[in-house]
Amino acid sequence: MPWPTTRRVIGTRVQRLDGNEKATGRAKYSFDINRPRMLHARILRSPHAHATIKTLDTAAAEKVAGFRAFYLIKKAGAEVFFAGDEIIAVAADTEEHADDCLRAIRVEYNVLAHQVKEADSLRSTTNTTGGAGVTNVNAGGDFTTDNFENAFAGTAATVQADYGVGVISHQCLESHGLVAEWDDKQENLTVWASTQAVPNTAEGLRVHFKMKPGEVKCITNYMGGGFGSKFGPDIQGIAAAELARTTRQAVKLMLDRAEEVTVGGIRPSAFGNVKIGGTKEGRIQAFEVDCYGTGGVSRGATVSFAILPYVYGPAVPNIKRLHRVVRTNIQTARAMRAPNHPQNSILTELAIDDLAARLNVNPMTMRLANLPPDDVAEAKTNPRGYIAQRGSIYRAEIAIIRKMCNWDRDWHVPGAQKGTIKSGMGMALHTWGGGGRGPNPTRVTINANGTVLAQSSSQDLGTAQRTLMAIIIADVLGLQPTDITVTLGDSSFGPSTPSGGSTTAPGTSPAILKAAETARDAFLTALAGRLNVQRNQLSIAPGVVVNAANNQRIPFRDACSQLGVPNVQANADWPTTKELQNSAPLREEWTTRLTNQGVGGVQIAEVKVDTETGIVTCSKFWAVQDCGLIINKLACESQVAGGVIMGLNYALYEECIFDRVTGRQVNADMEFYKLAGIADMPPIQVHMHDMPERGVIGIGEPPTIATAAAVGNAIFNAIGVRVPIAPFTPERVLAALANRRAGNP
Amino acid sequence: MHDHETLESGPSRRDFLQETGAVVAATALAGAATMESPAAELQPGTGGGIGPNAVKITLNVNGRDVQTSIEPRVTLLDALRNYLDVTGCKRVCDRATCGACTVMLDGKVVYACTVLAIEAQGRQIRTAESLYNDGKLDAVPAAFVRADAQQCGFCTPGFVVAMKAVLDANPQAAPAQVEKGLQGNICRCGTYEQMRDAIYALCNTKRGN
Ligand code: FES
Ligand code: FES
Repeated sequence: MPWPTTRRVIGTRVQRLDGNEKATGRAKYSFDINRPRMLHARILRSPHAHATIKTLDTAAAEKVAGFRAFYLIKKAGAEVFFAGDEIIAVAADTEEHADDCLRAIRVEYNVLAHQVKEADSLRSTTNTTGGAGVTNVNAGGDFTTDNFENAFAGTAATVQADYGVGVISHQCLESHGLVAEWDDKQENLTVWASTQAVPNTAEGLRVHFKMKPGEVKCITNYMGGGFGSKFGPDIQGIAAAELARTTRQAVKLMLDRAEEVTVGGIRPSAFGNVKIGGTKEGRIQAFEVDCYGTGGVSRGATVSFAILPYVYGPAVPNIKRLHRVVRTNIQTARAMRAPNHPQNSILTELAIDDLAARLNVNPMTMRLANLPPDDVAEAKTNPRGYIAQRGSIYRAEIAIIRKMCNWDRDWHVPGAQKGTIKSGMGMALHTWGGGGRGPNPTRVTINANGTVLAQSSSQDLGTAQRTLMAIIIADVLGLQPTDITVTLGDSSFGPSTPSGGSTTAPGTSPAILKAAETARDAFLTALAGRLNVQRNQLSIAPGVVVNAANNQRIPFRDACSQLGVPNVQANADWPTTKELQNSAPLREEWTTRLTNQGVGGVQIAEVKVDTETGIVTCSKFWAVQDCGLIINKLACESQVAGGVIMGLNYALYEECIFDRVTGRQVNADMEFYKLAGIADMPPIQVHMHDMPERGVIGIGEPPTIATAAAVGNAIFNAIGVRVPIAPFTPERVLAALANRRAGNP
Repeated sequence: MHDHETLESGPSRRDFLQETGAVVAATALAGAATMESPAAELQPGTGGGIGPNAVKITLNVNGRDVQTSIEPRVTLLDALRNYLDVTGCKRVCDRATCGACTVMLDGKVVYACTVLAIEAQGRQIRTAESLYNDGKLDAVPAAFVRADAQQCGFCTPGFVVAMKAVLDANPQAAPAQVEKGLQGNICRCGTYEQMRDAIYALCNTKRGN
């Protein structure tokens, strides 16, 4: 079952099917669900970054007008580890009354020492974050290539400097939360949740309530952003469902903005001292890094520096990594769009440009000299994978972007411009795995009335997943995407894989293709019987069924009406893990032809830096990206531009700022937590480097990775001074300029 | 900061929310409005004032009079979403920063999270839902769809209403003027590039580089 070689709809620019509903506010997100007699719930949270709960008194709150029920999350005596940690949830008849109830609850705390700054916590002599360990620092894994002692011997130049980036928040516009409702007998639970994992969310609740399979249903028709932070019911989902059970009424619990920022997820910080040395031609000879970062109170599974030096690792002969995970009294990190990669990109790419400048080598030349080579061994098993052809992919992409941005004309030596407002260009590369897996059962139904229905339990986070399903099916059935009715986001349909790591398009596409082709075959077989012709006399052409027996072209709808049965239906899914393990041909088909893993991308930023105010404006941006076989070019380009914009926010504006004394985040909002508006953003030119022979790979994560590093390098190119820590705020730009004026290196 | 009209009704919600920490912000939201009770003072001829208990109000939403009962502290946004099931306006920051709650009040855009519902009585409230009528889609949301200027779409109705208001006020607006009208709105998915395509299409202007 290969992808069709001539693709009529696949790969074209298709508007999203639900665009009208969303743009006119008629699409109902979980936050928008209002059920009959619905109550509203809120959560009381610790104001202290580290404390034990001494006493908890709810007597007054129970007398507040509209009060209905409590759900206790932490009992007296329990320890809280960050400001925002959940204590107790309350349900009331209105949101206003729920707020009144929260204010009436009295909690006494025994306040304990906390650490919210990585650098402080790095020097901690006590453990303020719980679990084992004498301090807040955990070893994060070291790595050294053989004979590293002489790694820097004979290099033409070596630079050593600190680089880094702070903690940021997902800031999903639709906050975390759900609406929970039990049936009359309290045997079945339905939730409308804002989630990237519809079946997982139902399953999380089912396990919590010890219910039987199928008794919890999760519905997510529309979803207002997740970026890696929404994979289960979370504590607020459990609280809402508990309160709904206690009160026998539907309960809505959506986090407010301060809560969303405080507990809805963070991307870990990363700081490192990097030493990098190279030959005069610009080949990196050695890369040494001592780095740390915080993933909040967690042990930091999501802070990983094992991919340093990022992208170029396979081309660098000598590598040494020292890595520590620093725990702090802030919320637990959650996966955020391309976990680890943006941080590692910053620690690598900034150092490379500093070395390039020292060596007097053009940064593009430098990168071309250090591309990871195509892997010959991998080419034998997965010739269409990233690893087998990564060097070639980057070379091709660099050639494209070089022309797009006119690098040869417009790039100049760092700091070469006079004047107070200086412009510069910088580049960076990235990679991401992507790739799909099952189970993602998909059903296609062709009805006698001519309608076509597609079903799966997967979710559309704004990726145009609905539209993707319709495109593939339309291509197979000779129809238009608008001819296909898609339902998704309902766990009762069956399993599906969570939407994380750019895996949804590759995870669902082959199952959709198979379901569509199976439905088509069943349809033509049934029709052949009715028309008294051989099955192979019938074929699909755009809008029609062609009967080769009499050269008749039957409009699709007419053909459906001749089916003689209400519908034909096909279900399809991935082979099971075991089937894939046991069959090389199946593995090849599903994981190296229909889908694959790994993409490369190149990005270039042009910035203008005002050396008097320190303000950086990104004035132009170029992105070249591959993602294998493109299903919807329009949505793909949206993903890339959106990823770039998220990266530009990371580069220039956003950062969670914690107060050392109170241990609270001072900008848990959207006012002092800066995000770009339209006027702050440059025109972004996206070029999709189409490689359809590679199969479907996934596009969500990669385009946000290299952006911040590209901007950082563009700033360096403009002013000839390194601003080492992102976001590259005016304050940091001015500090770097002042530092240079003071004669420091 | 932005071009939205804000209705000043006593202490702004922004002021009291600037205290630190999730708990303060989470619990103070409704509280300050009650304590300050600016709305009650603004109502002439009601003797003892109104509130804190719920009062009956009539709002004109998308051309229809609708009635509900709300406490005076309830914002227009919450009245629409929680009491009238008009959910096209979204609650995101709830403090006049993001524009997700943008609606038109007598043709001018406001942040519905920063207007009290009782203040919106007697005025024409228009939400994004009004831009789809009898199967007919208004040119503004249609341009968003064509340009794919939305991903998750949670910010989109706010942007659409803001853009519609600019073009209603000045059908000849140039792209830069339309863009200026969107500066009070934030999109997290990053749809600005496509939004510019939508703006240029609506202004019948070709987009250069
Ligand atoms: S919700 Fe009103 S401006 Fe953000
Ligand atoms: S489309 Fe998701 S926030 Fe704008």
